[in-house]
Amino acid sequence: MTKNKVQRIVAVILVIASIALAVLGFVNLPKREAAEGQKILTDLRIRTLLNATGDGVVESYVAIAKKDATAAAKAAGGGMSAIREAVAKAEEETRAKYSNATTDYAALDTSALEAAVAEDEVRLKAYYTAAYVAEQAYIDEHMAEAEAAAAAEREAKIAAGEDVPAEETITVDMSGFVATEEMTGLLAKADQAYEPVGAALQGIYPVLDASALSTLKGTIQDIVYQQGDDFTVQYDRYMAAGSGAALENPVSAFLVRYADDLLYGALALLVCAAVVLFYELLARKLGIPRIIIGLFFILLCFMSLWYDLSLSTLLSNTLVRMGMNSIMVLAMVPGIQCGISLNLGLPIGLVAGLIGGLMTIELGIPGWGGFLFAILVGIVIAAVCGWMYGHLLNRLKGEEMSVTTYVGFSIVSLMCIAWLVLPFTSLKLRWPLGTGLRNTIGLDGTNFRHILDDLLAFQIGDFVVPTGLLLFMLVCCFLVWLFTRSKTGVAMSAVGNNPRFAEATGINVDKMRLVGTVLSTVLGAVGILVYSQSYGFMQLYTAPRQMGFIAASAILIGGASTSRCKISHVLIGTFLFQGVLTLGMPVANMLVPGSTISETLRILISNGIILYALTKSGGESRA
Amino acid sequence: MSAEYVLQMNHISKRYGENTVLNDVTLTVRPGEIHALLGENGAGKSTLMNVLFGMPVIHSTGGFEGEVLLDGEKTHIASPYDAMHKGIGMVHQEFMLLPGFTVTENIKLNRELSNKNMFSRFFGRNLETLDMKSMSSDARKALDSVGMNIDEFTRVEGMPVGYMQFVEIAREIDKTGIKLLVFDEPTAVLTESEATQLISVMKAIAQSGIAIIFITHRLDEVMAAADSITILRDGKLAAKRDKKDTTIVELAELMIGRKGEAMVSTEPREVPAGNVALKVRDLYVDMPGEEVRGVSFDVNEGEILGIGGLAGQGKLGIPNGVMSLYAADGDVEIFGEKLKLGNASNALRAGIAMVSEDRKGVGLLLDQSIEDNIVFNAMQIKDEYLYKIGPMSLKNAGAIRQVANQMIQELDIRCFGPTQHAGTLSGGNQQKVCIARALVMKPKFLFVSEPTRGIDIGAKKLVLETLVKLNREQGMTIVMVSSELQELRSICDRIMIVSEGKLVDTLLPSASDADFGLAMSGIKPGEHEEKGGDAQ
Repeated sequence: MTKNKVQRIVAVILVIASIALAVLGFVNLPKREAAEGQKILTDLRIRTLLNATGDGVVESYVAIAKKDATAAAKAAGGGMSAIREAVAKAEEETRAKYSNATTDYAALDTSALEAAVAEDEVRLKAYYTAAYVAEQAYIDEHMAEAEAAAAAEREAKIAAGEDVPAEETITVDMSGFVATEEMTGLLAKADQAYEPVGAALQGIYPVLDASALSTLKGTIQDIVYQQGDDFTVQYDRYMAAGSGAALENPVSAFLVRYADDLLYGALALLVCAAVVLFYELLARKLGIPRIIIGLFFILLCFMSLWYDLSLSTLLSNTLVRMGMNSIMVLAMVPGIQCGISLNLGLPIGLVAGLIGGLMTIELGIPGWGGFLFAILVGIVIAAVCGWMYGHLLNRLKGEEMSVTTYVGFSIVSLMCIAWLVLPFTSLKLRWPLGTGLRNTIGLDGTNFRHILDDLLAFQIGDFVVPTGLLLFMLVCCFLVWLFTRSKTGVAMSAVGNNPRFAEATGINVDKMRLVGTVLSTVLGAVGILVYSQSYGFMQLYTAPRQMGFIAASAILIGGASTSRCKISHVLIGTFLFQGVLTLGMPVANMLVPGSTISETLRILISNGIILYALTKSGGESRA
Repeated sequence: MSAEYVLQMNHISKRYGENTVLNDVTLTVRPGEIHALLGENGAGKSTLMNVLFGMPVIHSTGGFEGEVLLDGEKTHIASPYDAMHKGIGMVHQEFMLLPGFTVTENIKLNRELSNKNMFSRFFGRNLETLDMKSMSSDARKALDSVGMNIDEFTRVEGMPVGYMQFVEIAREIDKTGIKLLVFDEPTAVLTESEATQLISVMKAIAQSGIAIIFITHRLDEVMAAADSITILRDGKLAAKRDKKDTTIVELAELMIGRKGEAMVSTEPREVPAGNVALKVRDLYVDMPGEEVRGVSFDVNEGEILGIGGLAGQGKLGIPNGVMSLYAADGDVEIFGEKLKLGNASNALRAGIAMVSEDRKGVGLLLDQSIEDNIVFNAMQIKDEYLYKIGPMSLKNAGAIRQVANQMIQELDIRCFGPTQHAGTLSGGNQQKVCIARALVMKPKFLFVSEPTRGIDIGAKKLVLETLVKLNREQGMTIVMVSSELQELRSICDRIMIVSEGKLVDTLLPSASDADFGLAMSGIKPGEHEEKGGDAQ
């Protein structure tokens, strides 16, 4: 009772805090574009300008002092060393005198400067906009060339046996770009607009001469306007330049700057409040590990917002990775339901699928035909191997966990030899020198690269929806769901749930386990092909070794146990697992730049969750 | 031996939570006597012995009330090890022997005789050399005293079961200062001649001054061996008798007694004498702990036949064997057609359903919903509750929900709804789900095995009433196996009593307590006249 009360009080406090933050955020966010926001930026900009030119002023005084000192020394008739000494002394004195001199900013009349800066900003903006348009046109024109070049380079690398990154941003060489007439015209106008700025600055610092002004031109223009900068970027830059003192009301400026983060914070607090309030319900419905992983995922979402990473791109990537991994995770379902627990021998299916893919490339079957052929071959091989594997598991009942693990490891090692001796002849598959298949086989437009990803794909902002991939995933899930509701499926899950019960109904336990194992292996074969087409590469040799573990931990994160699972566990688990990985990497890189923390995270999560599930399954069987 | 009694356990009471398992029981044993402790399963024999040996299970559940006196002195027995030191030994029902060790090693286990050597001077007693010579001579002596001429260096592995029992006894006798030996159902695994030998050994041991507590349910052995007898019933002291003052019939009566009122009362009726529904000849079932060794019986159409007997005597093996849940052999005919044993689906297809005694092990899919549990058999065996599309099939969720709701209502299954997992239900409600699954099969013949085990009294009543209703209204033939004799007597038309895997007798529910008691200890009422005569 009291615990309940505490929960409610905490939740209410969180909600109130959240509402406060939200109100602050909503009040302040529109101010960015309104007069107040502009005022803040102008204040900061002028101060930054004054600071920057102030440095120029010091340099001017130094130059004058040096000149005077040289003249004086010469007049005194001193030698070279005396002159040098006098100059150095004069410079030092001048610097000491002016660097620490504080300009009385409040007393300055900056109205002329402000007007001039505003005009200059408009001109510069016009120029940069035109320049951007022109550059984009140039890039569009030359993109095809660049892509072709990049593809050729890739091929060359693969041929040389080097690893190539999965995703590559293709850049167009801009060296051939020539400014358009429009651009030159606008640039001239912008230069014209700079004159009054210079004049206004001279009015404030009379010592600035024309040469100093021209030296400072680049700096000043950068301060006045930079291409593509929004409020937050400008604010951060000016603050970093130490112009914060110019703000009349630093607190309200701060709120305007962080208005969006305030809103995110409000949302985060709301989530916390909901979790606190409905903790029991969530814990019962989802289980504690899912709450932890789910909250971790939400935390990563907020952190990526905080670090101004593109959340929509990251979520889009998550969706793609969910799609490409989901079938392999789905392969765990028949295994768990038929009672062989987690099918860590999944590499059998993966290898079968890879052979299917290799045969497609070997025979050069293009497009959809090739993909379907690969799936078909994969399924046939997987069915045969799965059947034998199932017999092995039937002989070793009760030891499934270790048997599947070792079978998985063994088949990967066995295939490491096989990849070297299999009689494939296509040069796309073989090392150019020596024998055996390549480590990584790149797929391209002539095979089935992105064949599902690109099907009916569409884009909303940064968010790409791989429709075909998701449809394929859902269809597979639906088929497996239908199977679990068929007579055989019901019998199979009874075998997994309670073999003695099934036996008491005259169900052939071994046969049902065989059905589940074969199905799981077949799904593994389909899964690796879906994975490969999305990834763009087929990875041979030791690559499939870890995939069984990843799939197993994904379904466990989704809420399955080693003896019970549903299709929803597959979808939830794959999304959370891949989401945490996809978001974790950039966020971790922001936190600890250049670290491999996300890889560590992956191994920790995948193996940790398996271990957790095993402790749980032990507990259940004891009960 | 100054005191009159070697052991006095006065007014012992023991509670496990709410459940009183021993209520003011007094047991006194004189030196050198064989004292039989009689009682049905659950009468409190094992708990009393657990108290005597100071088993952890007693101490960890709040101890017991009453006092234990050894040689007239009040003692506290803290642990089985402590009991051994105080001169109490136990011959276990399951042998506690190491199969790979020799007889001598087993007899002397953890009490080895040893000589000092170089290492033991530094590292202590654990490294002393075994004195095999004196050990084997001690073992020889102990073996001789139980009348065993087996070589003391034979390994226990591969010995006949009876020999192991004697090795166990020899080990207890070898302990110095032993005053009291407890024999826990020692004859259960022995052949008749071995049992006779055992009894003579027991008598010899008793003559040497060691008192013996003899736990058994075989009344004839009690009459043959015991000097005095304590009978427990329902955790209470039913009676204490000297052998010379009692008869085997009286003992049987005392052991069974009338326990409370019948929960369900049925109209007395003639035993239905229609066609034979189930005909069983020479049924052998290899069910561990419940072996059936050649049983033949007929079940008439429309009757409720009860199968009773003590635990471990094979009554559970009969339904499990007919349903082919365990390897079975014999001729079974159901409604005139031969039933092939070996695959459970044959019996199910022939219209026999069973509610298993092992609810959690065999009876339920604990992780699946109530509705899936209820329709499982009908779906798998009769292809009901399915949409069929060519070779494909799909659960008919609507029909399943409907029948599940109907069953939940009819049997009053207390649950949140048909999708609740069976594992989260209480025992009584789980049992109802099992019954519902059997009923959905629309069987003509129903086996119910221990239907009331581990469920509360309200659920018990409802289960029994349901069985009667099914029998009277739908004419379903029912075979009910139960350890609760009272239950069987309240609803069955005839009751078969099984002992040692064999059918002893078929009795009417109105038969006397003595008849049931005798039958349960394996004596057919017709025979006891002679045996009883012998005893007197």
